[in-house]
Amino acid sequence: MFKKGVLRELFDSMFDKSWPMWVGGILLALMNILLFVIKYPWGSSSGYTNIGQNLFQILGVTSLGTKVPISLHAVALLNIFVVVGAFVSSLFSREFGIRIAPVGELVKGFVGGALMAIGATVGAGCTTGGFFTGLAALSAGALTLAAGFMIGTFIALRYLLWEMEALPKISMGKSFTFLTGSGKKTGWQRWLGWIMIAVVLFLFNTYTASSSGAMKIIGWHVMIGLILGMILQRSRYCIVRAFREPFMTGEATAPVAVMLSILIAMIGFTVIKYFGVGNAGELASRAIEMKAVYANFWLRALIGGIIFGLGMTIAGGCAVGTLWRAGEGHVKLWMAALGFVIMAPLSKGFIVPAVKKMLPESMQKQMFLPDVLGYTGAVVLVLLILLLWYMFAKWNEKTGKFSAL
Amino acid sequence: MQADQNLDCKGLSCPMPIIKLAKTIKKMNSGEVLEMLGTDPGSKTDIPAWCEKTGNFFLEQSEEAGTFKFYIKKK
Repeated sequence: MFKKGVLRELFDSMFDKSWPMWVGGILLALMNILLFVIKYPWGSSSGYTNIGQNLFQILGVTSLGTKVPISLHAVALLNIFVVVGAFVSSLFSREFGIRIAPVGELVKGFVGGALMAIGATVGAGCTTGGFFTGLAALSAGALTLAAGFMIGTFIALRYLLWEMEALPKISMGKSFTFLTGSGKKTGWQRWLGWIMIAVVLFLFNTYTASSSGAMKIIGWHVMIGLILGMILQRSRYCIVRAFREPFMTGEATAPVAVMLSILIAMIGFTVIKYFGVGNAGELASRAIEMKAVYANFWLRALIGGIIFGLGMTIAGGCAVGTLWRAGEGHVKLWMAALGFVIMAPLSKGFIVPAVKKMLPESMQKQMFLPDVLGYTGAVVLVLLILLLWYMFAKWNEKTGKFSAL
Repeated sequence: MQADQNLDCKGLSCPMPIIKLAKTIKKMNSGEVLEMLGTDPGSKTDIPAWCEKTGNFFLEQSEEAGTFKFYIKKK
């Protein structure tokens, strides 16, 4: 496509090989800090919910619908452009291909997505908004959410291993692959990638040309979504792996990458919260401090986390992992996204109110760790937890004590 | 390359190929070679990493029209 030269070399160095996951971890943390500065740190499940509500609105089920169109919902757009970014990056790296898994796998994708929707709405957060962002934002609920992910992932992994023995037919059968990018005649893939980038630039320009601040913010979500999607696809960044791998192969690569992300994001978030970056007034600083601190400590997050952990392990991708794999062309993850989108408004409408009513206030508290421990205490606590997690992952990598494979 | 066993993971995405690979290798005899097919780009790094972790020998990898072919020898 280019004459062999420095530009081609640069392009190849970015798209010929996958990046180490920890590189993705660092870059994602930086993007997350940018999102916080612009408006609100990274989350994903509320975007799925909005897309689902729009779907119900179109179908005439207004009780589950919304008046906020996707084109004005920052998180929904962020999700969509993560898919686009992963699509572009997989085109550039010749890894795109529509891969239709056997029917049983597609069903697992859908069910996994629906479970993630229930878990994310009940637990008030997914692996990204509730855990990665939540922990970096010093929200206490992120801790019990993580405990829930661990339990859910462990159970679902046992299920997958059992399924392999007892019902091997689920993951066997006809599969199809189309439009793959290897071989020589795939120049069109890279051209399509460039066209997609031009489309995103056009949209970015259209949004940011508006005089409204809200529209400018949305425009930036379009752009950052594209960048996030590319980083995610290149580094194959996966929070499911961070929770699953210790119980499966024992590898510590993914847990360490996620820890690094949280660590860096926490430094950025803490500075933003401490100084109330973005606003000067006292009330406004408090509002900034409480960003990404969810009313889910402790049992509410634990229950949601378990359900979400089950779902993400069966689907093979968390909320964000589903997005970038969908962009790469895995139809199983298209089904997971569909399950998530359909189930989220239903769960929000029927399941969440019941759970909120059932649980006492003390089990669904909005707890900002620095309110209890001070900023220093809160940061030290999170550092200690990350350190313990690191030691466990590394020890288990050597001994394989908890690994099934 | 001559293979003693075949494993088709086309269309499957993470973590199914690794789970199937582990299960198949378990049932093979030491020194036997497995030919594995897959379409998940993640397999390109996952399978060599798994082999290194478990001590099995990753022999060869090739790609044709989006389908990856791996040869693995059981330790």
